[in-house]
Amino acid sequence: MTPLLEIEDLNVWFDLQDGGELHAVQGVSLSLEAGERLGLVGESGCGKTTTALAVLGLLPPTASASGRVLFEGKDLLAEGEASVRPHRWVDIAIVFQGAMNALNPVRTIGSQIVEALELHDRAQGAAARARAGELLESVGIPASRGQRFPHELSGGMRQRAAIAMALSCNPKVLIADEPTTALDVMVQAQILELLDALCRDFGLALILVTHDLPVVAQLCGLGAVMYAGEIVERGTVDSLYHEPRHPYTRLLFAATPDLDDTDRPIASIPGAPPRLDRPLEGCPFRPRCDSAFAACDARPALSPVAEGHAAACHLNDRAAVVPA
Amino acid sequence: MSVVIHEPGAVAEPEATAARGGVVWRAIRRRPSATLGLVVLGLLAAAALLAPWIAPYGLHEQVGPVFGRPSASHPLGLDDGGIDMVTLLMWGAQISLLVGFAATAFSMLIGGTVGILAGYFGGKVDVILMRITDYFLVIPDVPLMIVVAAIWGPSLSHIIIVIGILLWTSTARVLRAQVKSVRERTYVKRARALGAGHARIVLRHVLPQVAPLLIANTVLTVAVAIFDETALSFLGLGDPSRISLGKVIENAFQRAAISAGAWWAIVPPGALVAVIILSCSLIGGALEDALNPRLRVAHLGARSFRLRPLVGRSSEAL
Amino acid sequence: MRGADYVIKRVAFAVVTIAVALMINFALFRLAPGDAVANLSRVPHATPETRLALRREFGLDKSRGTQFVLYLKQLAHGNLGISFANQQPVSSNLTAAVKNTVPMVLLGTIFAIVFGTFTGVIAAWRRGTAVEGVSVTTALGFYSMPTHWLGLMLVILFAGTLPTGGLTNEFLINPSFMTHLRDLAAHITLPALTLGLVLFGEYTLIVRSAMLETLGEDYILTARAKGLSPWTIVRKHALRNAMLPVATLVALSLGYIVAGAILVETVFSWPGIGRAVYDAVLQRDYPMLQGAFLLLTISVVVCNLLADLLYFKLDPRITE
Repeated sequence: MTPLLEIEDLNVWFDLQDGGELHAVQGVSLSLEAGERLGLVGESGCGKTTTALAVLGLLPPTASASGRVLFEGKDLLAEGEASVRPHRWVDIAIVFQGAMNALNPVRTIGSQIVEALELHDRAQGAAARARAGELLESVGIPASRGQRFPHELSGGMRQRAAIAMALSCNPKVLIADEPTTALDVMVQAQILELLDALCRDFGLALILVTHDLPVVAQLCGLGAVMYAGEIVERGTVDSLYHEPRHPYTRLLFAATPDLDDTDRPIASIPGAPPRLDRPLEGCPFRPRCDSAFAACDARPALSPVAEGHAAACHLNDRAAVVPA
Repeated sequence: MSVVIHEPGAVAEPEATAARGGVVWRAIRRRPSATLGLVVLGLLAAAALLAPWIAPYGLHEQVGPVFGRPSASHPLGLDDGGIDMVTLLMWGAQISLLVGFAATAFSMLIGGTVGILAGYFGGKVDVILMRITDYFLVIPDVPLMIVVAAIWGPSLSHIIIVIGILLWTSTARVLRAQVKSVRERTYVKRARALGAGHARIVLRHVLPQVAPLLIANTVLTVAVAIFDETALSFLGLGDPSRISLGKVIENAFQRAAISAGAWWAIVPPGALVAVIILSCSLIGGALEDALNPRLRVAHLGARSFRLRPLVGRSSEAL
Repeated sequence: MRGADYVIKRVAFAVVTIAVALMINFALFRLAPGDAVANLSRVPHATPETRLALRREFGLDKSRGTQFVLYLKQLAHGNLGISFANQQPVSSNLTAAVKNTVPMVLLGTIFAIVFGTFTGVIAAWRRGTAVEGVSVTTALGFYSMPTHWLGLMLVILFAGTLPTGGLTNEFLINPSFMTHLRDLAAHITLPALTLGLVLFGEYTLIVRSAMLETLGEDYILTARAKGLSPWTIVRKHALRNAMLPVATLVALSLGYIVAGAILVETVFSWPGIGRAVYDAVLQRDYPMLQGAFLLLTISVVVCNLLADLLYFKLDPRITE
């Protein structure tokens, strides 16, 4: 069966002011079936957001890209902006970090939802306004709030409104880029529940981009870990947590405080990610890795280590289990 | 399993002042327009400074008829007194630049002090100083300058002070904002906790941080100061005993250069002023951009992102 | 009403500023070196008795405090004094002058706003291309030119084609309405164009800057993600938001317009308020100077207030 969404060898470069290039996404490949949920995790600057944006072609003029993004078999990036625009919002929709500015501050919430409805011919005029009200209600916002401006709503409500807007044209895939990062913990839980319910009710496939591992654990079945622009491990969330096959994955999960295990000291990963404006030699994680050895001079490829589980680490070549 | 525990938020003290000076240099070097501006400004300033020695003719030396046409020996012709234009321009530039820099220095002093005090101490001091700044901002500069210059009498020092008194407001505002943000930084708080006096903190920690922005603001202020001097001279309020570029234009205007068809008496001095102002604007603009970088790239433009042909994994295992 | 206290605060600030301006105005001219009456000696045939009478009339024989009160009382009655130069009330002189300045400045400003916005938006839209480079360089060029010099350049360029001095052609006797209108239009062109070009430079840069800033905002990305076409995004989202800072900056630049008007009117002998200030300076006509300065200051304060209120009305985020 053709996957709903398939990313094939995606590369993204950004022009830098002094003439160089930043290779932000390096050969990322992912696939998503209908209704599946994938968590894309990694620290800041690892390229996960850029990957998510590239799916919809939301790259700035200073960017260049290569690779294929196949939606129901069609390559969205075939002609750049022209081939991807028809699919925006109606097939794939996106919700950003609900900071103040993801919604236009000088227009009412309702009018922005209506704009999406009218643009894609789902409804016009009064019918559109009514539908916008329904959408708001479905995410737990009273329809009358549609007359308000974004700054008049709390962070959580803004995010709900953004979700309502994203679902207005019945997409098949929802991309959520750090949807809960700017929110406090209580509201986070509510938004996650909302996403969970909506994805279930509408059979949406979900790509959840976040650096927050517990969120992924709660919401997603599949996970992909990114580091320095590439995927270093992917598989089910369970296997990533219990049987990580890449030191970075292991350290990432170990760095997450666990309320049930308060005796475990909090670990952090020393050092910083490599610069992406120069070509890298060897494994990008090597400088920070606690298990590096001679083979790591050569760049590892993402290879299968089990059914539906792949990792880019030379340790797997020896088929040795990485100590937990 | 190796586990390393780090101090949360170990903050590094920013690079020493010498490296901050590097910020200014690098910002200018990166932008060709700013580099050009700096070079041009430097050359003009040098020519102006060396005027007494390298001017082709004497400043008061009549070398031809009134409004003599440009010729090989006088590439820019002669003014209304038969004086060589090139000479006039060099001497004029000297005075114009002098007034520009002096007035700016004066306004920097006031504006810098007000801005730093307001930003650093905050509270009542801030409110009072900002109110005063606001009042100054609202009063229209040129009319006030005209009035004060008219009342006080035209002399170079008066002009410098008058211009300076009105230019300090933008510096004060910009500096105050910057100082406020610097004040909140960890190393400043640490210094305060360690008991450092205010003067020491300002001099050692705050000033180096705001210096580049101060320089940017200074350069832009010079541009305005020179414009103001030109305006005042044009209106007859400049120092009659000194020739500035503005005065050259004014003389030409008063002596009906245009009806005499002597465009060379008017176009070059103004063009020179425009070039000076342009150079300052380019330099100052480049600095401001570098120091307050637009953190966000425009999401939209006439062009869209480019596609590259498919590549294999760019870095296969070696 | 939303933010009633914001409006009240701004109005109060404007009122206080005007009060401060009044005091400065008063102080400035009383502190003039040499007594104002000394300048009255320019009035021909001023005998000692006349001088004494004038002294009393202008209240210069009383204490400063009383003078200030007298000054305020006269102001309240719209009495700005008598011009030394033409013995007419300052207020009527100023009114006539303002009637000449406003159309000229208005024309120039509208020109600058229209073309400046157009060029600024194009420059931001075509970021990184030659179009942007040319627009920015041109704008910077015009911005850097001293206003009066630009005026003189235009005179040199257009002498013979367009009138370069005065309000009207004085040699036209009893012209018909259309001829008169055409004559006025011809005369207003160069001064308005001069002012317009200098402002155009400034406004282009402001609009471009605001536009670039806006185009980097997250909601532009959202709009793109929704599938809107780029130009629609510019029209419905970017422009509206970018114009907010522009509106304020335009209003704030009115102080500079005043300065520019003075220079332009001097070059083109335009009998407006700028010219009135200039003539008053030359003739040491203190009452005129004082009146003109007061008028200019109040108009700038009022314009700033209007800018504040405009911004307040346009941006729903401002509530306090």
